[in-house]
Amino acid sequence: MTDAAVWVPPTWDEVVREHADRVYRLAYRLSGNRADAEDLTQETFVRVFKSLAEYTPGTFEGWLHRITTNLFLDMVRRRQRIRFDALPEDAGDRLASNSAGPEQAYAEMHLDPEVQQALDELPADFRAAVVLCDLEGLSYEEIAATLGIKVGTVRSRIHRGRVLLREALAHRAPGVRPAEPGAHAVEGALP
Amino acid sequence: MSLPSLPAQHLSDEAVAAFADGALGNGARGRAARHVAHCPDCAHAVAVQREAVWALRAAPAPTLPGGLLDRLRAVPSTTPLNGHPLALDADGSAVFPAFGTAAALVEPSPPAPDSHAHMSERRVRSYGLLTAAAAVVALGAVGGTVAGTIDAGPSVPAEQSPSAPVRVQPVGGTTADLFFQPAAGAAVFAQTGH
Repeated sequence: MTDAAVWVPPTWDEVVREHADRVYRLAYRLSGNRADAEDLTQETFVRVFKSLAEYTPGTFEGWLHRITTNLFLDMVRRRQRIRFDALPEDAGDRLASNSAGPEQAYAEMHLDPEVQQALDELPADFRAAVVLCDLEGLSYEEIAATLGIKVGTVRSRIHRGRVLLREALAHRAPGVRPAEPGAHAVEGALP
Repeated sequence: MSLPSLPAQHLSDEAVAAFADGALGNGARGRAARHVAHCPDCAHAVAVQREAVWALRAAPAPTLPGGLLDRLRAVPSTTPLNGHPLALDADGSAVFPAFGTAAALVEPSPPAPDSHAHMSERRVRSYGLLTAAAAVVALGAVGGTVAGTIDAGPSVPAEQSPSAPVRVQPVGGTTADLFFQPAAGAAVFAQTGH
């Protein structure tokens, strides 16, 4: 505890510099485009600033994940409602992703356009679970807490999301055939 | 979760994902490994999981746009704090609740009943101050930029973390220190000249 004596609290500037990259990366992976990612990141930090009174001890990163992810899911649901209201025949089964085109994404972010597009095509709930697990490195338990769902549901969503991702990227990695009968045999075991 | 008995049944989807992530418990992991070793279907399913993860992780991460960083830095000076009780400190700087003060105002009781009895006089006075003004973060209300500073004691278990001051420093003003007491769920306020 000797460090505690000399420990200096970070400034807001330091908090921003330490966490902004991570929050933006998560926001971008979830939303799939720069405009939404910027909005989500800005709103996350505004919430953090406004909600300091409600903050309870825990990891700051976990708090940021929760805020960013829930803002994203709120955004998706809001847009879904708008779509259903405005264009019922066009609502379809795909959740709103408001994705920038792959070329645009690459031009803006030097992001792998195929991977981001494959992510964008996942249902938002699956995408959130996969991104939190595979890109943010959260445990199943942490994801369950972030999304407010059971650990079993987290595992199911991660599994299904990865299968869909792998299918979308099938041409990139030779040696595995995602459409193999085996994949369907496994699906038969869905809870 | 329970795995199906071997070797008649395949791994469930949940087990496939957890096995690929190395997240199964010892017993379940061993059973899954034995099954996967003799079941091409499940071995394939596990490979699919891992390949999806590799593809994701191999993709370059998006980088923060420069303009956004500036806007985030400016959040304390551009964010209206509607709904938060504002008050004026003795030196005229605005104050509003920060870390943990909501809990402090509603339920300022430390986890152990004993703690109340042993609460120092300073702490007691601090609670009174919190009730009135909560934590102090100075707003740049009078033509000032604000360099707000907060800390959340990241990744340190609450019971082990030291008191984490929240310091907001108005330019050319005073420095307000907010000592967050994780154990008590309350914030203690102190102000020092600067």
